[in-house]
Formats: sequence, structure tokens, C-alpha cells
Amino acid sequence: MEPVLAEKIVHGLKAAGIDFMTYLPESRLSQILPLLREDGTVQLVGTASEQEAITIAAGAALGGKRVACYMESTGPYVSAYSLLTVGKQMGVPILLLIGFLGSFADQRNSFLYVTIGMRMIPTLEGLGIEYRVVENAENLERHIRDAQRVSDSMRQPAALIFSGEFAR
Amino acid sequence: MIRRECLELMAPLMTDQLVLSSQSGQRIEWFHLAAQHEGNLLVGMMGCATGVGMGLALALPHRRVIVLESDGSVLLSLFNLPTLGNLDLSNLTVFVFDNEVYSGSTMSEPTATAGKADLEAIARASGIDNAVTVHDIEGFKEHGLPGVTGEGLHYVVCKVEESLIHREIPRPNVDLAEYKYRFIRYIERTEGITIPFVGLG
Repeated sequence: MEPVLAEKIVHGLKAAGIDFMTYLPESRLSQILPLLREDGTVQLVGTASEQEAITIAAGAALGGKRVACYMESTGPYVSAYSLLTVGKQMGVPILLLIGFLGSFADQRNSFLYVTIGMRMIPTLEGLGIEYRVVENAENLERHIRDAQRVSDSMRQPAALIFSGEFAR
Repeated sequence: MIRRECLELMAPLMTDQLVLSSQSGQRIEWFHLAAQHEGNLLVGMMGCATGVGMGLALALPHRRVIVLESDGSVLLSLFNLPTLGNLDLSNLTVFVFDNEVYSGSTMSEPTATAGKADLEAIARASGIDNAVTVHDIEGFKEHGLPGVTGEGLHYVVCKVEESLIHREIPRPNVDLAEYKYRFIRYIERTEGITIPFVGLG
């Protein structure tokens, strides 16, 4: 991902009022992490599992934070249980930022990623999680703010899936 | 020692603590004993309460957060322990009521702690220095109760006999949404804040 795209994601998160983010780093979007760490506006919490990332983010949301959770394509599988129980059943908004490894537009796709990537969106749909795929930086700030508003309004997680220019 | 004895000692100590319970047998006993405590939150299923507790403790670092866990629930999410050890949250206490069985419903099958697994040892190896195991009520008074009212990160594994009291107590008629909103309104009132996602429509 070009550095300018990482800067735009960080700018969009801050503009949407995100002040807490859990994550499990991956290989497409992780350039946002040093930028967020340097900026200091968003409290970052690294985790050992996406399931844990969802539960920690949910706790912070209940405590008054506006939260995001950053993961790669495998994240929805690993965190499906907590997305359903804490995210949807209890009803806690979490903005999911998902690096779309294994998609058609993934410029570094391989046999390692493609199976996981191809079934990721059906998995989100099966979980009943609303999502939008973002291919480029056009209107990125608005996309992030829109997804955050949808998540808050539904009191449920909602996902932005980063593909195209973000998956290089 | 049975779980209810420990919970009976904890309930009178409730002031402004935030108490989360996993979906295990203790939630029925706790919500029966401390039904009036507005800082109670039921976390719907096993394996999620410690994570939610960590997030809450990070968001509200001046509030004591207490998580009531079971061995079955903790074993479902052992990845929480290294994260908890590294975060070293000074306002979080986790009680694990370890009866060595899955007994929340109608069957009693052994968990891994009935075998060789030692939750205190796993917690210590994960960086949680203040992890202890208590085997009797005197040990719970000495090592467990400071986690209710004191400071620091506490991880208290309470070895308890299997008790079926929870099967006799009527289950609360409060659903997850009601618990959540009551909990959130309590936080808003006691913290003087508005939780962003439950703002005006």
C-alpha cells in the first residue's frame, strides 16, 4: 500500500471520531499502525486473536470509546463467535477494517490466501454483518464515516473491506 | 469450598465496581445474590467476558472491573492471558471459579483442569505476576477479596467443588439488551459521560 493511502486511512479514522482500535497486524494495511502510534489520538491494543480483538473493542465501546478493529481476511472466521455473541447478540458497534487478502484485486494473491479470501464476504453475509468494499482512496474519509455511522446506528459491527489499491 | 460461598463474601463489598460474568453457572448465582447492583453485566456466551473486561478496564482506567469466569470459559479463550499479562491493567480482577467440570447445563463432564492443566501456572507464564490459586474460604478471604476492593491486576483461580445450586435458582428474566442498557446508563450516570453509540436518535 502506498504511504499516502495509509495516511488517508488514519485521517479518516480520526475524522470519524475513532479513539480506540484493537488489531492483529497483517501484510496489506499495517502501515497504518506506526502512523497511529505516532499520532497518539487512537488508543491501540494489539491482540493475540481476532476473537479477542472483538471482545476487547466491545468492552471499550461499552466504556464510552468509539472503536475500530483491524484484521485481515482470516479475521471474520476466527472472530465469528465473538462477532455474533458480543457484536450482534449483545449489540455493540465496532468498525471492522479488513485487509482483503485473497480477493480478485489482491495483487499479491497466492494459493495461501485465495481460498480464505474468496469465502470471506459470504462469511460476513452469513453473520449478517453489513459491509462495503473500498477499492481506492476516492471518498475514503466519507466511506469510513458512513460505515462508522451505520455501525453505531445498528448497534452492531459493520465492515470496510480494503481491496484494489490497498491490496498491493 | 463452593462457588456460592465466595460470591456471598463478595456481594456486600459492591460499591461502584463493574462486574462482568461469563455465561457459566456463576452468573445465575451472582445475579441472584447481587441483583440490585447496577454495575452487573452478563456477557452472552463463554469465552468472551475476560476480553470485554479488558476493554472496559482500558476505557475506564479509574474504575475497578471484576470478571467472573469459569474454567470452561477461560479454556475457550486462553489467548486472553498473554494479552492480559502484557497490558498489566491495574484496575482489573479476574476470578476463575474452577470446578474442573462443564456443569452449566445438565451434564457434568471434566474440563482440562481436571487433568494436568494449571490455570495459575499458565497465567504466570503469560506475565500475570499476581496470579494465585485458592483452595479454601480462608485462602479466598486472604487472596481473593483484595481483588474486589483493592488495586492492581489480580488473577484468582478459585478451586471449588462442583455445586449444583445454580440449577435450583430461577434464571433471571433479563435479556442481554436489558443488561447492556442498564449497565450503560449506570456508567453514564456515575461517570458523567454519554456513551456515543446510544446517543440521540
